[in-house]
Amino acid sequence: MLQYLLMCKSLTYAQRALRLLERIGVSTIITKAPKSATGNGCNYCVKVSEKHLAASLKALNEANFGNIRVFLVSDDGSVSEVRK
Amino acid sequence: MIYLDCAATSLQKPQGVAAASCRAINHMASPGRGSHRPAMDAADCVLNCRLLMAEYFNVNDPDKVIFTINATHALNIAVASLVDPGDKVVISGYEHNAVLRPLTAYGADIVVARSPLFDPAAVTEAYRQALPGAKCAVINHVSNVFGFILPIEEISALCHEFEVPLIIDASQSAGVIPIDFTALGAAFIAMPGHKSLLGPQGTGVLLCNYPVKPVLFGGTGSNSLLSSMPDYLPDRLEAGTHNVAGIAGLTHSLRYLMSKPPRYVLEHETALRTCFERRICDIDGLTLYSSCDPDCQSGVLSVVSQNPACDELAEILGSMGICVRSGLHCAPLAHETAGTTETGTVRFSFSPFNTCTDVFQASEALKKIFINR
Repeated sequence: MLQYLLMCKSLTYAQRALRLLERIGVSTIITKAPKSATGNGCNYCVKVSEKHLAASLKALNEANFGNIRVFLVSDDGSVSEVRK
Repeated sequence: MIYLDCAATSLQKPQGVAAASCRAINHMASPGRGSHRPAMDAADCVLNCRLLMAEYFNVNDPDKVIFTINATHALNIAVASLVDPGDKVVISGYEHNAVLRPLTAYGADIVVARSPLFDPAAVTEAYRQALPGAKCAVINHVSNVFGFILPIEEISALCHEFEVPLIIDASQSAGVIPIDFTALGAAFIAMPGHKSLLGPQGTGVLLCNYPVKPVLFGGTGSNSLLSSMPDYLPDRLEAGTHNVAGIAGLTHSLRYLMSKPPRYVLEHETALRTCFERRICDIDGLTLYSSCDPDCQSGVLSVVSQNPACDELAEILGSMGICVRSGLHCAPLAHETAGTTETGTVRFSFSPFNTCTDVFQASEALKKIFINR
């Protein structure tokens, strides 16, 4: 199953995103964002599966998490941005 | 030993605070410095405390809760964010050096809104007169020397009327008097974690609702390629490793306070203070600074003694196992206001864990000292 990374502007945001998503039944983890995905270095993101992507983005949007960048994780571990 | 110096630091903490700090030391690392378990446990610990603080003080966004090393650090950030050299800043006549010294260091034109002790209406009137043309205002919620509860709601409303950002020093009130950050609409509220919030030393908090300027620069575990601090909270103001052990203890003490009715601590401490006053008011040679209005004094009581002098009296009490503080309490302005600069005072400050027995023993000790003079 495809995995997506939802980039958060800070660790605090990532933690709050994780807690919000867990409350709506989305299982997720926090990971350090891959260096290729971070313009300014060192960021955190939450990882969600494809089937939870839409619901996750909707919940985060409704909770005013702002514009969240979304990255697709390829089989080889590389990431590509799919939404800015 | 009877500890009556909670206004400096609360000694007795709720059960479990020390264990929580100990657990953090043994099992937690540093938030934002990795995604391994010890780092994420530390991050969870800090976030839990941030969320609890936001709930306790009604802050609409937990990112506006900033962890500092103490209230002084928090006040320095607030002053740095609002004050440029030459700016007029209105303060009360009860401010601590944690306010006076940063304002002086940043070159503020300090205007003291002078008012008599235990007269909240006079405080409001003094601010009304002084606020026009001010860049910002500062008010001490409760005087650390006299326990005088200043009318922050009225001052906050005045500051809104004059469009002057307000800094509230809640060093003596946080954990004692309910504070609603959103309703007050202050620019900043600063507080320590180690006094009436009953947490460990080395913890402080700044509640922010105004653009901020950092006073400490360094790593945040975020945006590491930038040579400047991140432009978002809390990272902008939280450089370096957090005091995770202290914050873990503070989380535990906050839970304790939130399990009590909102005015429980104030009512308990005030009851002890008034009981203590009744027992010592007849002692010849002791001047008590107390209010007839029960709503404008907390559980802090200052007394002045000429013979023995205040410092000596505190030492004698200390030798009898009664821990109090004497001197100017880092608040020369408050003594100037009350006319106690020459003598200083001896301060008795109660905590939620003091009992009537403590009051009885402390008052008996005082009587014994003066009877033998």
